[in-house]
Amino acid sequence: MTWISKTTTFFGLVLLAHACYSAQEHSALQSFRTTSAVNPSSPGTTAVSLPLDISLETLVATAIICFGLALGTPPLRPIQWRVWAGKIEREGEEGFMNADGEVSRDYVGNPFKMLETRPGFVDIRRQKKDFAEWVRSSGEKQEAQI
Amino acid sequence: MAPSLLHPPSHLSPAAALQLSQQAPSVLQSSPATVSSAPLISLFSTSESPDLWLKYENLLLSCLRTGDEHAAHQCLDRLVARFGEDNERVQALHGLVKEADANNTGALEIVLKQYDAILAENDTNIPVTKRRIALLRSMGRIPEAVASLIQLLDFSPTDPEAWSELADLYLSQGMYPQAIFALEEVLLMAPNAWNMHARLGEVQYMAASATGATDAASQKYLAEALKRFSRSVELCDDYLRGYYGLKLVTTKLIKDPPKPAVKATDLDDFAVPTTSTIEKLNELATEKLSEIVRRYTAKERQWHGYDEAEIAAARELLSQDASQTER
Repeated sequence: MTWISKTTTFFGLVLLAHACYSAQEHSALQSFRTTSAVNPSSPGTTAVSLPLDISLETLVATAIICFGLALGTPPLRPIQWRVWAGKIEREGEEGFMNADGEVSRDYVGNPFKMLETRPGFVDIRRQKKDFAEWVRSSGEKQEAQI
Repeated sequence: MAPSLLHPPSHLSPAAALQLSQQAPSVLQSSPATVSSAPLISLFSTSESPDLWLKYENLLLSCLRTGDEHAAHQCLDRLVARFGEDNERVQALHGLVKEADANNTGALEIVLKQYDAILAENDTNIPVTKRRIALLRSMGRIPEAVASLIQLLDFSPTDPEAWSELADLYLSQGMYPQAIFALEEVLLMAPNAWNMHARLGEVQYMAASATGATDAASQKYLAEALKRFSRSVELCDDYLRGYYGLKLVTTKLIKDPPKPAVKATDLDDFAVPTTSTIEKLNELATEKLSEIVRRYTAKERQWHGYDEAEIAAARELLSQDASQTER
């Protein structure tokens, strides 16, 4: 969906630039006219106002840019605890990836997992032993496959 | 994809730990060994981030696990160079490396003596106290571990990790009431932790089905477990573990319904809900579990986060249930 938002925003920006250019040209023309007017005694009476189509174009362009930017926002994060927790359980880190496939930096999974893994009390000798056993068993499996 | 180095790696699978420790050479090479604090130099070099030291610490843990001692020592050296030997956390990591290097009981005793020496100087050194308890437990000296853990909780009673460890220690000895008490303390400090609610439910279910539990006590535990599992699924949508426990408890309650003679004597006691409520809960749990299993097996998008083993267990429970209804 990003290309829709990008083209919309781009179109809005083009419109806005066009409106600005028109306004600038218009005011230049106006000042030229007033200086070259035959009646120099009343230069201030001609109210310099923009034509309606230029103002309308500016307003429409701004609205389109806003719309395009709003289209491009990433999906909103859940704000309810159970929905957020369910997302963590159901999707894992996949649910917290941005468009580039990178996991968002503040993603920690279940923040209470640490109460069950308890990194402060880690039994490194058992982990080491378990790992060695895993290596041995997976090595045996590979041999069996060959 | 390799797991992030920014989170403690102790819960990872052996394969993931191997993957992390294989990254060690490249991480060690690409990250600066020391970060100068001299103002002129720090202007031109990359700035120091807390992530860097966290990375070293987690890499150290992974490398110790996979037996890559060279990389582990390198990580430790860098941490020591930055924070000094006297830093409490570095002291604990230093001890951890020595524990991993020790290959007989004598060496472990020496490490234990070193911990004692550190604690004699400063007995509020929490990381080292925790290491000492973990070492005692690892050496099989459970009573000593429990005693020092209780001492730790005496001066630091708001540490949910320590309470949780105490619960685990008690549970390993089959002391259910004490384990439940410790887990309730954890929930006081982390009332939103859906996994701890499920854990407490599991321990209560174990206590109810343990041999030697009287009928009334077992009833009480089952009612409490029902409450805890319900809370855990209330806190977390589609929580496999919570629904699994809910199904176990409700099935058990339906099979042998509570005697009406058992009255709630205490105001705190939670009375077992009516049979129709229990049946409804059982149906809900079955429905949710089969939905989770179905969608996970169909590899639907946004349903990949579950653990393979947990899904298999849920499938088994469901098939047991199906065979029972057929009969």
